[in-house]
Amino acid sequence: MIGSPDLVAFTKDDAFGQTYVDPWSIPEEFSVPLYMHDGKANPWSKANCAKFSKDFILISEFSEQVGPQPLLTIPDDPKVFGTFDLNYFSLRIMSVDYQASFVGHLPGCGYPKINFVEDSKVVLGDSKEGAFAYVHHLTLYDLEARGFVRPFCMAYISSDERKIMQQLQELSSEFSKASESLKAGNRKAFADELEKKLKDLEYTRAVLHKEAERQKMNDGCYSTQAIEKANELANVEKSFYEHKDLLKQVTSYPNRRTRSFDFLLSESDTPADLTDVDHMLDGVSPDPGVENRGGECKLSYTPQLIKAKPAKCFDKRLKTLEELCDMYFFHQTMDQLRLIEDTFRGDLCYIYNRQIDEFLLKKQKTSNFLFEEKDDWQEEEVAKEFCGGNRISDNTLPPSISDLSCKPQTLETCVSSEESLLINREPETGVEGLLDTESSLCDLTQENSDESTCAEIKGSLSSADSGETNKDQFDVQTCVVESKSFTNQQPPCLEVQNCRTNGEKPFDEISPVDFVAAPTRSSHPGNASLEDGVDAVNKAILSAQDPDPNYGNIHETEPFAHEDASCCMRQEGLLDIDPLPHTASESCVEDVVKQEPPSCLQGDPGRPMNFTPNGGTLLEGPTAGLSLDLNTDEASRRNADDASDTISCLSISTSSDRAPSPFPHGGPVTVKQKRKAGLGALKFIRQYPFAQQAIFSLLSGRTLVVLGVDEATVRKLVNALTIFVPNLGKYGERVQPWLTTSFQLADLLNWKLIGLQRISSPTGSSMLHSLNRYSRYISVLDADHKTLRCPPYRGSLVARLADHRTQIKRGCTYYTHVQSVLTELTSKAFLYTFCYHLHLPISPAEDPDTVALRRAEFLHHHFCYSKEDSRIVQFLSELIKDRYLHGPDKEVGPPVFCFNYVSSLTFRI
Amino acid sequence: MSSGCPPQSPAVAKTEVAVDGACPLLAATFAYWDNILGPRVRHIWAPRGPPALAVQLGDGDITFLANHTLNGEILRSAESGAVDVKFFVLSEKGVVIVSLIFDGELKGDRNTCALSVILPQAELGFYLPLHAICVDRLKHSIRKGRIWMQKGYNIVSVLTSEIIPIMELLSSMKTHSVPEDIDIKDTVLHDDDIGDSCHEDFLHKAISSHLQTCGCSMVVGSNPDKVNKIVRTLCLFLTPTERRCSRLCKSDGSFSYDTGLFVQGLLKDSTGSFVLPFRQVLYSPYPTTHIDVDVNTVKQMPPCHEHVYTQRRYMRAELGALWKAAGEDDVLPDTVIHTDETFTPDLNIFQDVMHKDTLVMGFLDEVFLLKPGLSLRSTYLAQFLLLLHRKALTLLKYIEDETQKGKKPFRSLRSLKTDLDLTSEGDLNIIMALAEKLKSGLHSFVFGKPFYTSVQERDVLMGF
Repeated sequence: MIGSPDLVAFTKDDAFGQTYVDPWSIPEEFSVPLYMHDGKANPWSKANCAKFSKDFILISEFSEQVGPQPLLTIPDDPKVFGTFDLNYFSLRIMSVDYQASFVGHLPGCGYPKINFVEDSKVVLGDSKEGAFAYVHHLTLYDLEARGFVRPFCMAYISSDERKIMQQLQELSSEFSKASESLKAGNRKAFADELEKKLKDLEYTRAVLHKEAERQKMNDGCYSTQAIEKANELANVEKSFYEHKDLLKQVTSYPNRRTRSFDFLLSESDTPADLTDVDHMLDGVSPDPGVENRGGECKLSYTPQLIKAKPAKCFDKRLKTLEELCDMYFFHQTMDQLRLIEDTFRGDLCYIYNRQIDEFLLKKQKTSNFLFEEKDDWQEEEVAKEFCGGNRISDNTLPPSISDLSCKPQTLETCVSSEESLLINREPETGVEGLLDTESSLCDLTQENSDESTCAEIKGSLSSADSGETNKDQFDVQTCVVESKSFTNQQPPCLEVQNCRTNGEKPFDEISPVDFVAAPTRSSHPGNASLEDGVDAVNKAILSAQDPDPNYGNIHETEPFAHEDASCCMRQEGLLDIDPLPHTASESCVEDVVKQEPPSCLQGDPGRPMNFTPNGGTLLEGPTAGLSLDLNTDEASRRNADDASDTISCLSISTSSDRAPSPFPHGGPVTVKQKRKAGLGALKFIRQYPFAQQAIFSLLSGRTLVVLGVDEATVRKLVNALTIFVPNLGKYGERVQPWLTTSFQLADLLNWKLIGLQRISSPTGSSMLHSLNRYSRYISVLDADHKTLRCPPYRGSLVARLADHRTQIKRGCTYYTHVQSVLTELTSKAFLYTFCYHLHLPISPAEDPDTVALRRAEFLHHHFCYSKEDSRIVQFLSELIKDRYLHGPDKEVGPPVFCFNYVSSLTFRI
Repeated sequence: MSSGCPPQSPAVAKTEVAVDGACPLLAATFAYWDNILGPRVRHIWAPRGPPALAVQLGDGDITFLANHTLNGEILRSAESGAVDVKFFVLSEKGVVIVSLIFDGELKGDRNTCALSVILPQAELGFYLPLHAICVDRLKHSIRKGRIWMQKGYNIVSVLTSEIIPIMELLSSMKTHSVPEDIDIKDTVLHDDDIGDSCHEDFLHKAISSHLQTCGCSMVVGSNPDKVNKIVRTLCLFLTPTERRCSRLCKSDGSFSYDTGLFVQGLLKDSTGSFVLPFRQVLYSPYPTTHIDVDVNTVKQMPPCHEHVYTQRRYMRAELGALWKAAGEDDVLPDTVIHTDETFTPDLNIFQDVMHKDTLVMGFLDEVFLLKPGLSLRSTYLAQFLLLLHRKALTLLKYIEDETQKGKKPFRSLRSLKTDLDLTSEGDLNIIMALAEKLKSGLHSFVFGKPFYTSVQERDVLMGF
C-alpha cells in the first residue's frame, strides 16, 4: 500500500516534468528564444517595454549647473513620451559625447582659441527601456558659459532600433541641416554678444582710465588705490583684446563641412540662410569702433560698466536655447526638426517602401505619369531615360488607336467619309432616349458605313452628331500624320519600312522629329482639300491647348453646332432634361421626353456662351470659352480650381467649398489625398454593381460625367473615382469635380471625370443638352438615380480592381491594391508600346493588315485580353507614346481624344 | 591624435590578422569596465600589412577610442544577456565605431564589456549596408563568449573566430561587392532572346526561387564569368542596399561562403566539387536558394518561418553544447553540434522548387520582347519590381487590417489569395518573402505553428 507521503510529490499543480530542472540545461540568459515572437509579441508590436507611444525628438543640454537635462521635445506633447524618463535618458545620451570642444589657451597662443568642433553622431539604445536613439551632438557658444561652450544634443528617439539604423544616413543628413542652422544662428548671436561686450569693455576701460588718472592726480602714482585701478585697467585691456580676438575668430568662421562624404551637405541642401549668416558675420567688424553693420540694435546699445568681480558660477542664469540663437535661425531649426519628426514617424516598412517606390519610379519616367503622383524629380527630361538620349524610333511605337483597325486606310475612305459627313449634317428625326439600351437610330443606320476617322472627327466637331463607323476609336492628334500617309497611299508604317530597307538611317537614330516631320515633307499638293479639312479639325483641337489669343476655330464651327444641336435634340431623347428630381424620375419611367426643352427655344445650347453669375452674357474673346491656357502650371492650377475664368468655369457654383474635396484646389495631388480617396472608391465598388463599367470608362479614356443634384454626393463620387483616372496631372487637371454649366467638346479633351450639377434653370437645361449632345463620347453616372450609361464591359482586367466581394477592409489598403493593379496595367501598356516585333512588318511583303492583326492577336493571345481590356491597354499605350514623342512639357494638354461607337447600355442597381 | 592619449600600462594584447587585400577595418577591440580602474581594453585585433587607408591609428588611439565606447555604460540597466549596439560617427576623429555592449563574468565579477569595430569615417557608406550582417554575426559570437566567460575561459579565442572572418568579409566586399547600379548588359536579361545564355526554365526557376527566398541566393559553378553573370542577374531583383550586400565570385580562387550576404558567387574547386557549410547557411537571416550553373539546378531552403525555427533550434543546440563542454579545448565551433543529442539537424535542407509562379514567368516571357541595347528592359524591370513591392505592401496591409495589427490570429489566407490575385502558390511565396523583408516575423505570425506545415497545406487547413 502506498502511503500518503509517497503521493505528495504528485499532488502539486505543476505539470509533470516541469519541476525538474536539468542541471546541464543552458539558462535562458545564455541562449536564444526558440520562437521569434513569444506570447503576445507579433511583427507589429513595438519593443516590449517602450514607455512612449510614438517617435519624438528630444533636445538636451549638459548644463554646467545641473548636469544633463532635457530642454524640449518635438512634438511638444507630454502624451507622446508618456512615462518615459527624459531626465534619465538625457543623462544617458549626454554621457556618450565624444566632442572635445572648448575655448582655451593653446600652447604658444596669447589669446583663447575657439575650437570649432564638428558634430558627432551616435546611435545608442536602452534595451530595458525599449528606447533607441539617433543622437546628434553639437556645441553652442555662450560668452557667460564655462569655457564659452554649451554642449547640446538633438536626439531622435524611437522604439524601433532597425528604423534608426536603416535610416541613419537620412537622419544624419536632416539633423545636420538643423544643427547647421542652429549653429549659424548661435554664431550670429555670439558675435552680437561679443560686440556688446567689447563696447562694455571699451566703456569700462575709458571710465577706469579716467578714474586712474584722477587717482594719480589726487593720491600720486604709487598709492594703493592707484595701483589697484591700474591693475584693473590692465585686466580690462587684456579682456578687451581677448574678446576682440574671439570676435575675429567667430567672424572668420571657416565654413567647413564634415569630413565624411556621406554627411556632406550638398550646396543645394545648404540652407540659404547659412550663407547669409556668414555674410552677416563678415559684416561684423572685429573693431567695435567701426560700426558697419547698420543694425539699429547696435547703434542703440548703451555700454555698461563691467564690475571687476563677476558673479559666482551658480548665481548666474544661463541663457536658454532660444536666447543662445538668433530668433530667425532658431525658428528655422525648429521647423526643420518638426519636418524630421513628420518624415520619419510611423512604421519603418512604409517609410522603406516609399523610398523603394521613389527609386523605382525614377527609372520609369516614360510611363509613371499615368497613375503616379507627380513629384519634382519627375520634371526632368524624359529623353535621359533612354541610354543617354538614345530614344526609341517612333516607328517602333504602335500606331494610333485608329490604325488598329484591321481595315487598311485609303484615300478613298477619306473621301467617302467627307461624303458621309454631308449626310450627317442633315437633320434627323429619329427620337431615342438616353437610357435606351440600344444604340440610336442613327447608330443603327450608319453602323456599317466606312468613314475615315479624319472625317469623323471633322463631323464630330462641326456637328453635334457624327457618322457611325465600324472603327472603335479615333485619335485626333495622329490624324494629320495619318491623312498624309494616306495621300501617299502608304500604310502607317511605311516610314519604318523605308528606313529599314534602304538603310539610310539606322533604326535607333530615327528621332521623333523625323516621325512628325516625315508626313509633312511627303504631303501632296493635290490633296490640299483633304489636308485643309483635317488641318481645320486639328487646329480646332490643338487650339484648345494653344494660348494664342487669335484662336477661333471652334467658333468657326458654330453654325454647324447650332444646326446640329437642334437636330441632336430632336434625334436623341432628353431624358434628364428636366433637372427636377421628380420629373427626372418620371422621365425614367417614360423613357422618352416628347417635349422640346425650353433651353432650345431660348437659344442655342451648343453655342459656347459666357454667363455672368447673374445670367448676363459677356462678350469675351473666343479663348475664354475653352481652357486654352493649359500649358503652364499656373494654368493647370487654374484649371483645377473651380474659380477658373474659362467659359466652362465661369458659372461654376461658388458654393463648391461646402463639400470637402481630397484634392485641394491649386495644390499638387498627393499620395495622402489619393489614399483618402481609396475609401470612397472601396465604398463605390461595394455599393454600385456597375462599378466595373464606370472604371472601364475611365481607364479607356472615355470621359465619365457624374450627374447629381447634391454637390457633396457628386464630389464624393468624383473623388472616389479619381484614383482610376489615367494621367491625372500634377494638380488633378483631368478632373472637374463640380461643374454647374454646360461643357464643350474641347472640355472632354481636358476632363476625363466631371462632376455635373443637375439644376432646373436655363443654364441647367443647356448643361443637360451638352450631356445629350456628347452622349456618344461620354459615360454618365447618375448619382441621383443610381444609374450608369456607358458601353458594356466584358473583360477581366477591371474585375481585379473592382470586385465587390473583396474582403479588403480599409480604404488605404484598397488604394494600395489599386496601385499595384494599375502598375501592372502600366507595365503591360509599356510593353505593348515598345514591343518592337509588334508594330513593324517582319518582311517587306507584309501588309499593314497583317501587322494590325498581329497586334490584336498579341493582346488577345499573349495577354489573354478581351476586346475591352485591349482597349484599355491601347489607350494607355497611346498616352505613353504621346508622352514619349512630345515630352513632359505637353502634359497639360491631353494628347488623345478617344471615343468609340460601341452602343451604350444603362446599368441600374 | 595620439598626443592626448594616456600611456598604456600594461600593454594591451594584440592579434594581427593577415587579410587578402586592403581591409577597410582599422581595428577591433574588446574592452571591459574594471570596477577599480574603469574602462580597460583587453584585446586588439588589427589587420596586418601596410595601411591602405588615410586614417592611421596607433594602439594608443585605438585604446582611447575603445575605452570611450563604455562611456555612460555605468548606468546600464539592461537585462542579463542583452547585447546593445552603439554606433558612433566621430567626425573630429574621422572614425566610425560600432560597439556591442554586453555583460559578462570576468575574474568572478560581473562586468560590462564592449566589443568594438573601428573603421575610417570614409568607409561609412561602404559599411552601413553590411552593418546588420556584422552585428548579427558578432552577437552570436558574444553569446558563445559569454558562456565561455561564465566558465572562466578566455573569451578572446571565441571572438577571434568571428572577427577574422568579418575582416575577411569586409576585405572581400571591398573588391568584389556587386555595384549599386548594375548594367543590364552584364546580365542574362540583355540576351537577344530567352534561353541564349541559359536554359529558359532554369532562368525562371532561379529567379523565382531567388525571390521566394527573400533575394538570398548562392550561385556556384566552375566558370567565374558564368557565375557572375547569374549573380548580377539575380541582383537586378534586389534593392540597391541589398546589392551592396552581395558579392561576385573571385576568378582566381574562391571565397568561402559568408553568412548574411544576399547573393554570393562561389567557385567550385579543381575537382568540380563544392563543400556547403551547413552551419553558415543555416545562420543566414533568410532561407537561401542554391543555384548550380554547371548542371542548371535550383534548390531552395524551406520558407522563412521554418528556416528561422530550424536556425533557432540549431543555435540553442550549439550554445547548449558549449554550456556542457567540459574544457576549453573540447569544442570547436563547427563541430559543436555533433555533441548534442537532442537535435539532429536535417542536412537535406535544400529541396527542389516546388511552387510554380506566374509573376516571374510572365515577366521573362515579356521582357525579351523588348529590344535590347536600350533601357527599355531596365524600365520594364523597374515596373516589375514596383509591382512586386506594391503587392507586398498590399499583402502586409491586408494582414494588418485582418488581424488588427497582430492582435488577432490571421485566418483568411484564402480570401487574401483571391483578393490580391495570389492564387498561384509561387506568387504567394514571392510576395510573402518580400513582405517578410518589410516586416520581420510575418511568416511566423501568419503560418505560426506547426512550423513544418507548408503554405499549401496551411491554406487547405484554413479552408475548413
